[in-house]
Amino acid sequence: MRIDLNEVIWLEAETLSFDELLERSGLPASLLQELVHAGSIEPLDPAAAPPQYGARALTAARRAHRLHQDFELDASALLLVLGLLDRLAELEGRLHELQVKLPRRLG
Amino acid sequence: MQYKDYYAALGVARDASEEQIKQAYRKLARKYHPDVSKEPDAEAKFKEVAEAYQTLKDPQKRAAYDQLGSHRPGEDFRPPPDWQQQWQGPFDEGSSFSEQVDLGDLFAHLGAGFARGARGRAQMSMPGRDFEVAVPISIEEAFAGTHIDLDLAMPEYDEHGRVRPVPQAFRARIPRGATQGQRLRLAGKGGRGFNGGRNGDLYLDISLRPHPIYRANGHDLYLDLPLAPWEAVLGTSVEVPTPGGAVRLKIPAGTQAGQQLRLPRRGLPRPRGEPGDLYAVVSIVLPREASERERTLYRELGEASSFNPRAHLSQEGSHAH
Repeated sequence: MRIDLNEVIWLEAETLSFDELLERSGLPASLLQELVHAGSIEPLDPAAAPPQYGARALTAARRAHRLHQDFELDASALLLVLGLLDRLAELEGRLHELQVKLPRRLG
Repeated sequence: MQYKDYYAALGVARDASEEQIKQAYRKLARKYHPDVSKEPDAEAKFKEVAEAYQTLKDPQKRAAYDQLGSHRPGEDFRPPPDWQQQWQGPFDEGSSFSEQVDLGDLFAHLGAGFARGARGRAQMSMPGRDFEVAVPISIEEAFAGTHIDLDLAMPEYDEHGRVRPVPQAFRARIPRGATQGQRLRLAGKGGRGFNGGRNGDLYLDISLRPHPIYRANGHDLYLDLPLAPWEAVLGTSVEVPTPGGAVRLKIPAGTQAGQQLRLPRRGLPRPRGEPGDLYAVVSIVLPREASERERTLYRELGEASSFNPRAHLSQEGSHAH
């Protein structure tokens, strides 16, 4: 029997507290704290207190957890890898944007 | 229980050193880790590699694995008679072998057994596993919303606190507003928690399948609009498909190749706010073969026109000298 799933939540529509981000990411608290302090994971509004985090932060924190576990990366290495992956995603996004704007026979 | 060859998964000999095992894992993790890999099927391959490494990097687990003997991958086997007593007995009294036991799961819990024993584990509260699944949908489905059927192997705890995949069939609603890279969360629909631990979440990672006409960038759509030279020069009105139905688009006289004509709010809907736009990207195309009459008219046009499309080249070229 199939279970109907109708209660879907857009990740982009959610805001999380630090504790919720911690629980949902699976990261150790000290490591998440370091990533936040270093600016690798940013709150939605840096001026807001207490800080709230969005989908971007959750995606980054979950990715950080996987990389931390699977590559045994410490905070410094994690910051470097996350920064490079963000840069890669940004460049891929720009490339994609240029490709969709080109007529297909030229793209 | 089905045998898995962990040494083959890492591409090392059975007598490989710890350092060789670590090096092989690092190399394969770099190649297949889903966060850094573009390889097809990277996630499944990385899972095999990670499972092998988790067992072989730990000297106790490796010794236990080696005592299982060597079998063909996928071959059904039973461990030697004293194996369970030696490696599991003191810890996992409540469990026994069955055909459903997964080798990776067995070794994952040997670790828990070494650390605190099955009884300790059985009293612990553990959160359910989150589960992520890739959901490719068409642009038409993103536009209208859709339902998709998912057949997942959901990681569930058994009564001993061991995780095992349980087949689970879902029908999930994908609301209007999805696009490439967006994610939906189904709270509490991942693996069930153990001993009062919270249930995991199910994440749906949306991707858009390539479309023969549209290309998506966020919620904006792009399509190619080829025009004949005279249509671009004189202007015209053309029918353009959009996901919501065809519309007529006025092509202004003097339209250039590469120009983007915007049809506001004709792209994909957003979960909140205005829909994206649709852009018709103009290209000017020529018939592959021109008739004699057409060639005559082009010749006349060439003689009548003073237009020089390369004027800037001669100007810029002379500046350079």
